[in-house]
Amino acid sequence: MANTEKTRGGFGAWLLDPKRRGALLVTPAITILFVMNIFPLMWSFGLSFFNYKASSLKVPKFKGFNNYEKVLTDEKVWERFQTTAIIVSSSVIMQLIIGFLMAMLFAKVFPLRRIVLMLVLTPMMLSFVSVGVFFKLFYEPTFGIVSFVLNFFTEERFVLLGSPEGAILGIVIADAWMWSPFVMLLVLAGLVSIPKYLYEAAEIDRASKWRTFWTITFPYIKSLLLLAVLFRTIETFKLFDVVYIITDGGPGSSTETIAVFLYRTAFQFFKTSQSSALAYIVLFIVIVLTNLYLYSVNQRQEEVE
Amino acid sequence: MKLRNVIKGVMGASVLAVGTGVMPVLAADITITMAAPDWPPTRFMKEHFDQSYTSPAGHTTTLDMDFIPWPSFYERVAASLTSGEQKYQMIVTDSQWLGAFVEGGYYMDLTDKIAADPELTAILKDLHPALVSAYSTYPHKTRAQLEEIGEVPAPGVSYYGFPQFPDTYVTFYRQDIFCHEGEMAAFKAKYGTNLPCSYEDWQDTDWTKWGQVGEFFQRSKGEMLAGVTLDDDFYGIAYQAGKGYDFSTMQANAFIWQQGGDIWDESKMPNAQAEGVVNSEVAVKAFDEYLSYLQYMPPVSQTGQMDIFVIQDLYMQGKVGAIIDWVGLGEPVLDPSASKAHDKSAFGPAPGTRQADGSIDRTGNIGGQPFVLTTWNDDAVVEEALNVVKWWLKSDTQLEAVANGGQSGLMSVMADPSYNGLRPWNRAHVEMIDWQKDVWHIPEFFELLTQQQEEFDRAITGQIGAKEALDNVAEFQQELLEDGDYIE
Repeated sequence: MANTEKTRGGFGAWLLDPKRRGALLVTPAITILFVMNIFPLMWSFGLSFFNYKASSLKVPKFKGFNNYEKVLTDEKVWERFQTTAIIVSSSVIMQLIIGFLMAMLFAKVFPLRRIVLMLVLTPMMLSFVSVGVFFKLFYEPTFGIVSFVLNFFTEERFVLLGSPEGAILGIVIADAWMWSPFVMLLVLAGLVSIPKYLYEAAEIDRASKWRTFWTITFPYIKSLLLLAVLFRTIETFKLFDVVYIITDGGPGSSTETIAVFLYRTAFQFFKTSQSSALAYIVLFIVIVLTNLYLYSVNQRQEEVE
Repeated sequence: MKLRNVIKGVMGASVLAVGTGVMPVLAADITITMAAPDWPPTRFMKEHFDQSYTSPAGHTTTLDMDFIPWPSFYERVAASLTSGEQKYQMIVTDSQWLGAFVEGGYYMDLTDKIAADPELTAILKDLHPALVSAYSTYPHKTRAQLEEIGEVPAPGVSYYGFPQFPDTYVTFYRQDIFCHEGEMAAFKAKYGTNLPCSYEDWQDTDWTKWGQVGEFFQRSKGEMLAGVTLDDDFYGIAYQAGKGYDFSTMQANAFIWQQGGDIWDESKMPNAQAEGVVNSEVAVKAFDEYLSYLQYMPPVSQTGQMDIFVIQDLYMQGKVGAIIDWVGLGEPVLDPSASKAHDKSAFGPAPGTRQADGSIDRTGNIGGQPFVLTTWNDDAVVEEALNVVKWWLKSDTQLEAVANGGQSGLMSVMADPSYNGLRPWNRAHVEMIDWQKDVWHIPEFFELLTQQQEEFDRAITGQIGAKEALDNVAEFQQELLEDGDYIE
């Protein structure tokens, strides 16, 4: 009894007081967050106003907004943004179409539906590196499967990655293959939440299939579709691994996305401050997109309520 | 061991030292962590070290190799150095990285250590001068500049690295088809010259014949090759033409140098120019010739992804007759479990440009890697790391390394009577090493290289011609080098 009372007193007891217990429990998480995220974020933000190079011993000098000006007036940066926009828009449109059609298919009941659904979901569970390597080998013109199959019809080797357009298409196909199942999942969630009686009522009213889709199905899935668009836009905007592995940004720089360019600037050219400035511009764009995403989530919440 | 025993031992050693008038270095446990690319030459070094290294200073030394896959090697090393973690005591490095990491304060200047140590001086004297120039000097000194000075180590020159694996590119070819009587007769009938079959034939092979070989052996599925019906398309030749890292520059530079053109020459700073040199008429013609042979290579060449590993793979799959690739990638070609060409391969010098007097210029871009010491080690670790360097560059160790997939840069080892017989490419390596030059070593090398690779890639994939590519390279380099005060 005396021992128990002893342990209850002192610093330990003060620390474990219910008033402080909550703060104590979140402290490790906050510390890790600060050390691993917030501090580096603030540090790199500070660096973006200097002329620091990680590979140089020279003392960095304060340059104000010079790096931001340099980045925003650099033709190469705008070219990379343009390339990123083309890949993002093409890939997201393809994912929406394929994902939506697959969701319509899986909303119906058919034999082995669960097994097929599981297989269809597999690509989005793979790592980016694996997908990049798979598709690089698929597209290989000498022994790749795409060239092999087309060779039966054309008797020529199919060189998809030899032109800028072909290389962009190659990346878009790989990204869409990986992420269309994600869009499908979201849309499918919307489709299965539609009450059956609405369709029965439409049938009684002899509504056409188009009318049924437009007035019943679409309103239920439109917020989810918007969610899918925003979520996939944000993710594809940061596309790095698949591009780096399949084309390395080539031919020339025709498939070099802003993420690959940022990586080269920071870790190959060691323009640390300039790359920090570019990273903050990219972060700003992602924050804008994320806010749109949050807005659409709120809209959906209001609709549900 | 108990602490009391350790103290007794140390006291005993001290008494002995005082009594004999010599103060020995106390034996210690030393771990040298080395960043190394993951491939046979470094794997062998680790294995052989564990089996045979004894510290001359009496230390218990551990060589802890951090094997890093090639594709991420530069990024991993650069990240480690610039993060300040001070993980490595030694690093296997590409020669082009010297400037970036010397200027960053990471690589140790070994000049004084070499000058003070007769053994290291003797090693430096015995190393092939092309390797000393490329692997060791920063600011870069050419072989001619070093030879003009004459002294070793040369006064006013800073030395950083010693060869861990000196590499050159040579020709790998299928002896079964190049020495097939029917094919030889057909080639002679078509081109009026012999199909290269023996080593001596390859010594007399220039780029024109290389192109003829490419055209001659380009066969479609169903056609005959050396008396056998092909079940897939076959290609005569391949060399590197890839966008990644330096996978076209290394081969294109050979064409440019051999024809009398040049790249921006850092050894002539600040007078050397990029504009007018990089895009000179000679350089454009040479680069155009490099591009002209791509039509005879596997279709992957049209994608700009035909790097050194891809051509090695295609050769091992039996889809190409001859490739030009690094000696360091030769070992898997002879592996029966991995290569269809394992028992059909022979090796010769890489082709070159025939000069007016009939000789062949084979100037090429040096490969391989030196190893360097880092700057944050204490004296005992530095001394022991230099002992490791001396051990690795001993004749016995070098001959063992050569016999196990490594290579040597020591002239005495390359002159050893047993050397040529140790591996089938050794004769070609010795012949090629004398032709080697290097690209740039300044800290901005990666920017120069990346932009050049992009422009070369556009030319390789047919988007632009040789002139436009080199004009773009020259313009970019001139601006970057003027901004960096490398050009006045």
